[in-house]
Amino acid sequence: MRRTTPIVILALACTLLISMACAVVLGPVSPGTLVTLPSAWMIVWDVRVPRVIAAALVGCGLAVAGTAMQGLFRNPMADPYIIGTSSGGALGATLAIVLFAGTGRPMFAFAGAMAATFTVYFIARKGGRIPVETLLLSGVALATLLTALLSFLMYTSGRSLHQIMFWLMGGFWNISWNDVFIALPILVGGVGIYLFARDLNILALNEEDAIHLGVNVERAKQILLALSAFVTGIAVAVAGSIGFIGLITPHVMRLIVGPDHRFLFPAAALAGAILLVWADTLTRTFTGDMPVGILTACFGAPFFIYLLRSRMKA
Amino acid sequence: MKPIEIIDVDVSYGAKKILEAITFHAVRGEILGIVGPNGSGKTTLLKAMSRVVARDNGEIRLDEQGLDTLGHRELARRIAVVPQDISIGFDYTVRDVVMMGRHPHIGRFASETARDLEICDRAMRLANVADLAEASVHDISGGERQRVLIARALAQEPKILLLDEATSNLDISHQIEILNIIRGLTGTITVISVFHDLNLAAYYCDRLIMLKEKRVVAVGEPRYVLTRENLNAVYGIDTLVKTHPLTGRPYILPVYGRAAKDRLYENVHVVCGGGTGSDLLYALREAGFRVSTGVLNVFDTDYATATALGIPCVTEAPFAAISPGTREDLAQCIDAAYAVVVTAMPIGQGNIENIRILEDYPDKPVILLNSGGNCLFPDYTGGEAEAIVRRLLDRGAIPVERIEEVLQALTSRA
Repeated sequence: MRRTTPIVILALACTLLISMACAVVLGPVSPGTLVTLPSAWMIVWDVRVPRVIAAALVGCGLAVAGTAMQGLFRNPMADPYIIGTSSGGALGATLAIVLFAGTGRPMFAFAGAMAATFTVYFIARKGGRIPVETLLLSGVALATLLTALLSFLMYTSGRSLHQIMFWLMGGFWNISWNDVFIALPILVGGVGIYLFARDLNILALNEEDAIHLGVNVERAKQILLALSAFVTGIAVAVAGSIGFIGLITPHVMRLIVGPDHRFLFPAAALAGAILLVWADTLTRTFTGDMPVGILTACFGAPFFIYLLRSRMKA
Repeated sequence: MKPIEIIDVDVSYGAKKILEAITFHAVRGEILGIVGPNGSGKTTLLKAMSRVVARDNGEIRLDEQGLDTLGHRELARRIAVVPQDISIGFDYTVRDVVMMGRHPHIGRFASETARDLEICDRAMRLANVADLAEASVHDISGGERQRVLIARALAQEPKILLLDEATSNLDISHQIEILNIIRGLTGTITVISVFHDLNLAAYYCDRLIMLKEKRVVAVGEPRYVLTRENLNAVYGIDTLVKTHPLTGRPYILPVYGRAAKDRLYENVHVVCGGGTGSDLLYALREAGFRVSTGVLNVFDTDYATATALGIPCVTEAPFAAISPGTREDLAQCIDAAYAVVVTAMPIGQGNIENIRILEDYPDKPVILLNSGGNCLFPDYTGGEAEAIVRRLLDRGAIPVERIEEVLQALTSRA
């Protein structure tokens, strides 16, 4: 452990609390106007508070899932959005909207996320390993297929079109306390993933070495993939597919607290929450509630390209 | 109880058989070496023991307990593996990596205790990496990284340590350093190690297993396994197996290139002594000549070389002049030879007969190999030897300076 790590994690926790407080205060209705409104309590308690909590939970979940996948695939390019987990979740959620008017949305999103993840996992596997190229390519291939299915659903659904567009762009409008409760299991999944922190540290060496050190590699991989898909599925069910949080936060945090997953997980979870709370606050305050997925993609995609280039040089 | 016992084990990758009917066991506290050519299945055998690859059939037992009955963590508490240099993708410190060795001892819901830290510290001291504890594994040398992996294996507190050519990427000083650390562990830990370097294996191992094409061909103490016959059968090379003067262990000198037995076309006799003829004897035999040498005394370096190369040699007791009987043997060799090569050996009363005899063969081609220049021989006969050499030169002996010229002179005439 680096000596600065506890300080960093503490600072992140404080920053998250402050950020959430700011996010509750800030919004399209400015603080000055807010206090004069009779509906102020409703705006704060029924709209902003659940929205901020949901953003924090979703950011946390995506970052944890991204960290787990990067460790699992020994590949810093992995992320629930890139390898198709999010698309699977979005397709699942869309099915729920089209078929059952949105009932069972989290279950469908989870099932979709899981199916997509394991499909990519089995396509990309070559001799027990998951090379970067096959991982990215099979992710792209699967995402194309899933997009086609999504387009088909949108084409046939008619009146739910707007609701489906919501999943594709990702955002937090229309969030209620009910969504916060749906999002809460993210914490359970996150704790489950955290229990494998030491296994992930060892898996980062290589799989054979992990076997030598007593890690049940195949089982650990399956459980971690399932938990990551679970967390991602819920995040998608709540907020649609928001990209690149799971890619960027583990990276930046690894630079700050080091590669030990026991510290990387809490740091990335907090940072992911902070990032998404601010991204959401900025979009709803200044851009008339533009879907936050647009903003994260605008920052995330160049970062991804930068990673790709620096890896090609190495 | 045998710490590990392998009974009739077969392993294959897909349709390809890698190991067949492997049976052996280790003795507690020994270093057991596995040797054999590339592709003979050494690494696979190690992987079968660490359960990284599955067996087709057969049994592996640890202290009478079936390997497959052990859980992943239980197995890692019994057997630790030191791999060949591995690349570590993330920027861990040395202590992080060594602490990973405690993984099988720490429960999923627990974290490391003071005792775990203590065991790691001790492992790092044993492997001589304590000073590097806080360094990044990216910033240390290959030899240091290998010692870190040994420390990690020791932190597992295993009963059996498996090494897969754990030193073969290192220079000789690091190899020795690491193998000395390993040997310091024995008594408590049973070590099974794959070796490429036969001399290191001969020195460090109590026993060796030799593999050839999927099967065990020899098991036992190094001196019984590393014989010239076995090495020839398994590696297809000719070797000289000596006894290391300091360790008493077998020491293998490869005879570079293959013995050209089918190219023998001429008999050549070499008159040499005091080590002046060793490289010539070797070169002549390699070039395909049927070589004889002598007269040499049995303490002479050239005699040792001739024996090792299987070259017939006329011998005489040390410190004795050449007797009439021996001279007769020498005459027979010279009769049979197409040419005689004389090296710039020191000549005294003991061996002057070796060149004096050449005056009885006025038509025999003689080549004088003198690597040193004009002064032909260290002469301890008060000029008699020099006089003989001058007469040989006068009648047409060919003076040359290098072994290549000897070969040229012989082949151009043949």
